[in-house]
Amino acid sequence: MTQPRLAFAYWLAPCALFGALLAAVPKPASGADDPREWLQRMNKALATRNYDGTFFHISGGRVETMRIVHRVRSGRVSERLQSLDGSGREFVRANGELTCYLPDQRTVLVEPRQDRGPFLGTLPQFDSTVKDFYRIEALPPTHILGRPAKVIAVNPKDQFRFGYRLWLDETTAMPLKTQLCDSRGQVIEQIFFARLDMPENIPDSDLAPTVHTDGMRWVRQGPSQDNASSALAAYRASQLPPGFRLTVQGAQTLGDASTPASHLVYSDGLATVSVFVEEQKASAPGEAAAADSQPQAPMQGLARVGSGYAFSTVVQGHQVTAVGEVPAQTVEFIAHSVKLYSSDEIPRH
Amino acid sequence: MSEQIREQVSAFLDGELPDSETELLLKRLTRDGELRESFGRYALIGEALRGGGSQILTRGFASRVSLAIDGEPVQAAGREHTARPARWWRPLAGVTVAAGVATVAIVALQQRAISPSVNPAAPNTAQMAQNSALPLRASAGTQSPVRGGGAPREALSYTVPAASADAPSAIAPARLTNYIFAHSKYSSGLGQRGMLADLLIEDDEPQLIPITRSAQPPPPAPDARVAP
Repeated sequence: MTQPRLAFAYWLAPCALFGALLAAVPKPASGADDPREWLQRMNKALATRNYDGTFFHISGGRVETMRIVHRVRSGRVSERLQSLDGSGREFVRANGELTCYLPDQRTVLVEPRQDRGPFLGTLPQFDSTVKDFYRIEALPPTHILGRPAKVIAVNPKDQFRFGYRLWLDETTAMPLKTQLCDSRGQVIEQIFFARLDMPENIPDSDLAPTVHTDGMRWVRQGPSQDNASSALAAYRASQLPPGFRLTVQGAQTLGDASTPASHLVYSDGLATVSVFVEEQKASAPGEAAAADSQPQAPMQGLARVGSGYAFSTVVQGHQVTAVGEVPAQTVEFIAHSVKLYSSDEIPRH
Repeated sequence: MSEQIREQVSAFLDGELPDSETELLLKRLTRDGELRESFGRYALIGEALRGGGSQILTRGFASRVSLAIDGEPVQAAGREHTARPARWWRPLAGVTVAAGVATVAIVALQQRAISPSVNPAAPNTAQMAQNSALPLRASAGTQSPVRGGGAPREALSYTVPAASADAPSAIAPARLTNYIFAHSKYSSGLGQRGMLADLLIEDDEPQLIPITRSAQPPPPAPDARVAP
């Protein structure tokens, strides 16, 4: 009777010792606790899992309640983001289109959209370039929504970009709380999940818009195009904040404009800034600017857009606008540095 | 906000509220706009206390403050790129905050700080790197960060720059929306979420409020500001 128990105890002891040794050995950088590994798990969860959650979007003392529904079925992503606080606005992505219902503006915006990152956003893969401009670290773990959570900080190394703090559910790697921070670590915007379910199945009805579209104006944003006019396509940023480089160059029809704008995308690997170069001409006196879809009146100035900024200025007779989830000085810097190149001098970066 | 709800909110922000109570709090928040505002302020204060820092104004809050003061939305003003940026706010008379934390909450509103080095007409990368290592001039000169809740008195004062008559048009909201949509296609970062979420948010005032700076920024001297 006692013999088997003893044997078990003998077997157990070395196992326990081995376990203790394992715990004491420092984990390799690529181990399960590497913060970058956790960020990749988060990306994967956001893009591939089904989830239905309600979260608070808190920005400068203003709180909005939103619901996100994300479904992946047979490789197809459907997604719905809905404001629960009164504006009634909803974004629905399905079948390669993003539809934005803006009932308070009596408008529906539709745009062809590939199934790129989820509405909740992901972080790109971290390569060596990103490491030069951001410091990624694990902070002490904590509990959130009653669940154990890993805390990861992505700190910018200068003031040309924002950073993040992420509280990731230890089981699913879903971000239960995220903060957007400036280079001094001060919080600009945060998201708290109040409820997050990850159901096996999500019915179509949970992804259908709740907005009644009777009498609303439908606006279809034109598809991306390969080419803008050669004059527009010869504009480039002549100087960039450290780490930013040209990643995409193409053309984009904005709203119901008659001619496409040149669209340049600059990125440091994590933050992204778009530069749009458009035809620009002052409206004739007495002519309503709105009546003329394009060219339009010149614009100048900085605007806050959510967690990012837009800055617009006129360069050699063309309207140049930089937009991105970056500090104001970054969009200003880039927009101001844009200039027209002769065809044999256009920089490739 | 009742004591009980305040405790709930505090526990929620610390991640210590049980799920059952969280569900109740969420329901209450969804129904009750006033509670939501209190909650927002509480979150802001909590961050200021925890992070020991301040929080950038957002347009919604800023415009409400401006409305409360002037009865009119923030206006575009002329800008000059060489000028030190200035976005100043008059005393936040319209903002009520729970007693005892009022000081921190108001300090938490900071003017945006933009390094004068951002004009790319002159700088080189080395100069930029040097500048980026320095504390931002505006904040260093006019506002100390909150440390341990000790709020500098002078930070309570803000003024609004006068709108210039010949101000160029700011970015039209409809066009801004187009830019954001077009941009968000290429932005897979978490920042995209912030921008899209912003488009979901209803604002009491024009959808996107231009932030501009005055051609002649108000001097940062304490006597240039109005006491609250």
